[in-house]
Amino acid sequence: MQQQEIHDFLITFFEANDCEVLENAPSHITVQLTIEMDKELMNRPFYWHYLEKTSGIPNPAQITFITDPEQAPPNMKGERIHFGSPRLHQIIESTKRLAGYTRLFEDTLPSNGRHNPLFPWLTLNVKISYQCDRKKDTFMSVGLNLISGEIMEGFHNRVLPVKVTPKIPDYSFTLSPLIMPKSGLARLDTYIRTSFENDDHSWAEEAMERWQNDLNLLEHFYKDMDEKSESYFTEKQALQAQYEPNILISIINGGLFYLSDRALG
Amino acid sequence: MKINISFSSDWNDEFLQKMENDGPWGNWELYKLAVQMEENLIIPDFEGLQAPKHLPQLTPLPHQLEAAKQVVEKMNGKAILADEVGLGKTIEAGLILKEYMIRGLVKKVLILVPASLVSQWAFELNTKFHIPAVVQRKSYVWESCDVVISSIDTAKRAPHRDIIFNQQYDFIIIDEAHKLKNNKTKNYEFVQNLKKKFCLLLTATPIQNKVEEIFHLVSLLKPGHLGNATLFSEKYKGKGRNVIEDEHLKELVNTVMIRNRRADTGIEWTKRQVETIIIEFSPTEQALYDAVSKFKPISDGSKGSSFSALTLQREACSSREAVFYTLKNMKAKYEQPSHDFLAKLDELFEKVNETEQNSKAEKALELIKKIDDKVIIFTEYRATQLYLQWYLQQNGISSVPFRGGFKRGKKDWMRELFQKQIQVLIATEAGGEGINLQFCHHLINFDLPWNPMRLEQRIGRIHRLGQEEDVMIYNFATKNTVEEHILKLLYEKIHLFEKVIGELDDILTKLDITNIEEYLIDVVGESRTEGEMKIKMDNFSSMIQFAQTMKEGEIHAATGNS
Repeated sequence: MQQQEIHDFLITFFEANDCEVLENAPSHITVQLTIEMDKELMNRPFYWHYLEKTSGIPNPAQITFITDPEQAPPNMKGERIHFGSPRLHQIIESTKRLAGYTRLFEDTLPSNGRHNPLFPWLTLNVKISYQCDRKKDTFMSVGLNLISGEIMEGFHNRVLPVKVTPKIPDYSFTLSPLIMPKSGLARLDTYIRTSFENDDHSWAEEAMERWQNDLNLLEHFYKDMDEKSESYFTEKQALQAQYEPNILISIINGGLFYLSDRALG
Repeated sequence: MKINISFSSDWNDEFLQKMENDGPWGNWELYKLAVQMEENLIIPDFEGLQAPKHLPQLTPLPHQLEAAKQVVEKMNGKAILADEVGLGKTIEAGLILKEYMIRGLVKKVLILVPASLVSQWAFELNTKFHIPAVVQRKSYVWESCDVVISSIDTAKRAPHRDIIFNQQYDFIIIDEAHKLKNNKTKNYEFVQNLKKKFCLLLTATPIQNKVEEIFHLVSLLKPGHLGNATLFSEKYKGKGRNVIEDEHLKELVNTVMIRNRRADTGIEWTKRQVETIIIEFSPTEQALYDAVSKFKPISDGSKGSSFSALTLQREACSSREAVFYTLKNMKAKYEQPSHDFLAKLDELFEKVNETEQNSKAEKALELIKKIDDKVIIFTEYRATQLYLQWYLQQNGISSVPFRGGFKRGKKDWMRELFQKQIQVLIATEAGGEGINLQFCHHLINFDLPWNPMRLEQRIGRIHRLGQEEDVMIYNFATKNTVEEHILKLLYEKIHLFEKVIGELDDILTKLDITNIEEYLIDVVGESRTEGEMKIKMDNFSSMIQFAQTMKEGEIHAATGNS
């Protein structure tokens, strides 16, 4: 991830959270946090607790992030932020928490003076991880049309260019879903699970083999022992934790989009 | 094949809840950002290292990256890191740990290191790797913190022991793991009973004496990898260290152990420049030395008597204070000392009192002023340490003391003072696991230890990875004394001071000399004439030289595993 990308990310993040960007230089940014963001990021509950008890004047922090230390003024005071820095990951976590669920409407103009019908789409962005003693992830975005039942892959990228708004626009109306959200979620779940069924799972077979190998060694090591010691059972559990193949599905975010029939092209 | 699928329905539940309450809903900009950032964090391959991308301020050396990759890809996260001293095992361990944490395979971590290294580990993991490692000081830390550093000695004791066994650790690191070579110890038993999903054992000396040591070490990591105890000892017992030449065993060990040698890493080490400074006694100092040389506390000709005479002689080369301290102890030791003995002692006390100056200290002062930079002085004796501190103070030079017996916090503090404001650090004990002082490159050996390993450890404090300057070593030896003999006859002959770190270690273990110091005392103390001593010393140094050439040949021939 490039520093420029991080810089842009920070700007978008703070603006979206109503924090004023006091300075936006190529090498660094300074932002004035709101009270909410101070509580979210600065980790000083005692200060806020004290302030609320004494009804003092809140003084949320200003932070400077240095995104390009080489270009930054030499005496610049601020936090260096880079991919892997704890602060960046804190902000990413915070982003995910604040935007786990959304509901948006396509912002369209009325055509021919008629009211626009908007179709409900249920969408999920998920991370699928193959995990044994190693791990790899794939990203998947799916959308389900709650009227037709159509399922579309790569939904997120398709919806990105669409102009959306949190309030239903004038001259638009939403169609009621034929598929209830709950069963919609179940359909998407099934779809996602089937998607990797036919994937190459030699990784899991190989992990099982490594597991079996180590198990054989373990048995051999404790062979002479009539009554197995506790460490034998601990080791056995450790091997399971180390090697057992697992597929994890974790939802990044998702929600409902009401879109016209032209929106997704 | 059927693979477990885990999925948490929390998201679904909350979503349906929000549907019912009509919100609140997340902002579109943040929603897009969350996806964008998560896509960045996706790890598309099982292979390769992610950690370096997360650590732009760290520049690992090629052999360190290679080691990390090998542990993750080939060794399934269980390995013995056995690089020679000073090649950065901590960096390798940090990289591996970071990799697993980034990949989300590790959360709960236990790091067991010698007490003196606890804060250093915490500092390095936090600053170099952004791993929030916490030093265990209160017992709640075990449960409430994810990455905890402690000494084994603390961890194995109640109540910690039981708390630790109840934690589900994903990753365990043990530094100075050669201390676990004996499977009969409490420490070994403790580590054996830990649940080791991923595990790193760090040691510079995987085998010190017996081949069983490597068996016990590997069996901690991967029980059964080298067979079980009965079979192993049938096959290899009593064959000593050489058994490691056994191809089959070597191959097996190499699948769980990484050992980089200095010669293979291609790192340019800064040089060691050694200067021997011969000092002449003042007349009163000479008188004291001569007096203690004649002194035989127990005149039965046993080893003990030559031992104490030698001790006093060595101390006289250091400071009168050191002599005084020992004499005082001798006097206190006997309940009813003979008249004769007391008279002799008093005579010596007299000599101590008459000693007017310390020629070495004067030389040291002169040198420190000339160097005009940070200097470490090593001495064998606490009395000398105290005296030197006083003496330098009198001459307007501030110094801090350092001793093995200091508590961890005090050691850190002294190191910090020395680094930030004080010119001189006076240490009595190098300690194999002491502090790292690579910000300093002048070292004065005020007196010489008789065990080359101790000397090596002294130098190792400053001549290590991270040292950017050539290291200057000044050896003080007093003319016509035992000290000069040791320096001239032994250390200079085996080129001890020019050796790179760790080499000597290998050589001495090969020779199987367990107690060099005792051997030397024997040579120096029991030789009837100077000629006899010279011959014995010569033999000894040739032996070391021989082992040295053997080792060099071996390096060339070695196929190695790195």
